[in-house]
Amino acid sequence: MAQVTLKNIKKSFGPTEVIKGVDLDIQQGEFVVFVGPSGCGKSTMLRMISGLEDVSAGQIGIDGRDVTHVSPSKRDLAMVFQSYALFPHLTVAENIGFGLKLHKTPKAEINRRVEEVAKTLQLEALLDRTPRQLSGGQRQRVAIGRSIIRNPKVFLFDEPLSNLDAALRGKMRLEIARLHKELKDVTMIYVTHDQVEAMTLADRIVVFNQGRIEQVGTPMELYHTPANPFVAGFIGAPAMNFLPAEMLSEQQVRLGETVLDLPQSSALSGAVTLGIRPEHIEVSDGGEIMATLDLMEKLGSETLLHLTTPFSDSPLTARVDGAVELTEGQTLRLKFNPNAVHIFAASEVRPAMTA
Amino acid sequence: MADLSSGAIPRRFNPWPVTIFTVLFILAVLFLTPTIGVLLSSVKTTRAIALGDLWSWPDRLYLGNYAEVFSNPAVHRYFLNTLIVTLPATLASTALGVLAGYTFAKLPFRGSNLLFLVVIAGMFFPPQVILVPLFRLFNSMGLIDTLWPIFLVHTALGIPICTLLMRNFFATVPNALREAAILEGANEWQVLTRVVLPLSLPALAVLATLQFTWIWNDFLWPLIFTQSDEKRTIMVGIVNLRGQYTVAWGVQGALSLIASLPTLLIFLYFQRFFIKGMTMGAVKG
Ligand SMILES: Nc1ncnc2c1ncn2[C@@H]1O[C@H](COP(=O)(O)OP(=O)(O)OP(=O)(O)O)[C@@H](O)[C@H]1O
Ligand SMILES: [Mg+2]
Repeated sequence: MAQVTLKNIKKSFGPTEVIKGVDLDIQQGEFVVFVGPSGCGKSTMLRMISGLEDVSAGQIGIDGRDVTHVSPSKRDLAMVFQSYALFPHLTVAENIGFGLKLHKTPKAEINRRVEEVAKTLQLEALLDRTPRQLSGGQRQRVAIGRSIIRNPKVFLFDEPLSNLDAALRGKMRLEIARLHKELKDVTMIYVTHDQVEAMTLADRIVVFNQGRIEQVGTPMELYHTPANPFVAGFIGAPAMNFLPAEMLSEQQVRLGETVLDLPQSSALSGAVTLGIRPEHIEVSDGGEIMATLDLMEKLGSETLLHLTTPFSDSPLTARVDGAVELTEGQTLRLKFNPNAVHIFAASEVRPAMTA
Repeated sequence: MADLSSGAIPRRFNPWPVTIFTVLFILAVLFLTPTIGVLLSSVKTTRAIALGDLWSWPDRLYLGNYAEVFSNPAVHRYFLNTLIVTLPATLASTALGVLAGYTFAKLPFRGSNLLFLVVIAGMFFPPQVILVPLFRLFNSMGLIDTLWPIFLVHTALGIPICTLLMRNFFATVPNALREAAILEGANEWQVLTRVVLPLSLPALAVLATLQFTWIWNDFLWPLIFTQSDEKRTIMVGIVNLRGQYTVAWGVQGALSLIASLPTLLIFLYFQRFFIKGMTMGAVKG
């Protein structure tokens, strides 16, 4: 049974429609990540699930119950805010036990459970401090502690790690993954801008764009079979390259002077957009596609090549092994992996750059 | 180092510090002179004052005025009346300001900003305009010469400033805190009492001090609404101490000083909040 069901959710702020009809079923225990460009309505969607924001139309169900008009506290969910939203005047222990105290739980019971949670999150030594005396990562853990103590059915995270520096973000990402493994039955909905968080944490990723869902799928599904150029460009970093091309037959596409044979036939014909990820471009003497190397970014284990091709105005990015020796300005022969070539209708919108 | 700074560039004369200091000095003298006059008169005999000897340093400390004030049962009554009015009115106006301020800051509704402006506009309303109608109203209710009108008027007139101050302070409390509390199961009342108010203690202290001082020191309303000596508050009482044919400068001076002690004490007690209240929110913690 689906844990969270969204039925044709719409939301308007005044005259502007921000969410334009969203349908989604989220299973119990699933880790679902919402991604999308800034302003596409991810936070709004999350806040509607939490009940902090009313829906303009549609139905929200949690655990088989219609909660569309149920107050936030009765929806049995917890939320971790980007700003942590810890109560500055309370200690860590009081922050974590805040909800239990509101529900008139006996003191001994609160203490026991606070300690239990503190142990899970390695906060035992910090229980008497106030949030002011904590580091960003510790505050984040307290915020998580405050939400897990009540054993909610659904967890909502709105960019919980975006205020942390890169190293800490990586560490906290692992902790959240571990938490999800430990709390098997708990459904998690997680909003992020971070590709890596989305790919590594998600059971399923939901790609939003302008108040609509573009595609829902596992990280690998979205990576390998994006439904449209928007998703293709949004998932994966660096982003997929898009090149103008022309279908010669169902299984042949012409790119400049080069003709590629496709493994599967495409229903499209005429002018199309060819998509290829940087990691599926190879520099090879046998390659037929000529390109000039403008710029190299050496990342150590790999190198990003920024290239210009005669048949496209926009630059082409390729990702090659870090050991490959090249010089800028050089003309290279490229080989596209035909299995990784995506064909989209030329009229389809080009994606905004990933945020 | 020393050579560089002393020799090279002759510092230009900056007239501002001197000007500011002079202005502040004059202001301080203007403020302090009456206070010193009252202080001096309170330790002199009426006779000495009547002889025009007010501003001289007293050769001996005469405490008879204070003794007279403290032993006067009417003065005890004045103090009690003032407390009976000031404490509840301070409490009531602050409480109403907190409730209204919270609503305007955190629970906006259609037209709430306009309503807020209307409430605030009350601050700029001269009380003299409503003096006569109010007198008639309370008179018809049989409340003249009781403490009720003073309490009611101060509570009502305090609403604009209390609402303004609390709304503006509550607005600085992040919305996410309210939302987090609500998701934890708090209702609005619990959000207010468990989260927002504890964070607003500085603002509350400042507001309570202002209200207390203002109501305690008020002269106009008690003068209008009370008639008998048993219902007078302290500020009216000071004037009343003057006998019909005698001028009791010394006693009045003593009472004036004693009467201003409570507000001074309250301010001293809360002054740390004044500083804190002004700087809080400057640094995000
Ligand atoms: N309370 C509000 N009143 C009016 N417009 C709002 C309100 N909240 C959000 N919006 C608008 O709704 C749109 C979606 O906002 P939302 O915060 O959901 O975006 P988001 O996808 O979370 O973006 P980001 O990635 O930057 O956090 C934005 O255009 C925003 O301006
Ligand atoms: Mg957002």
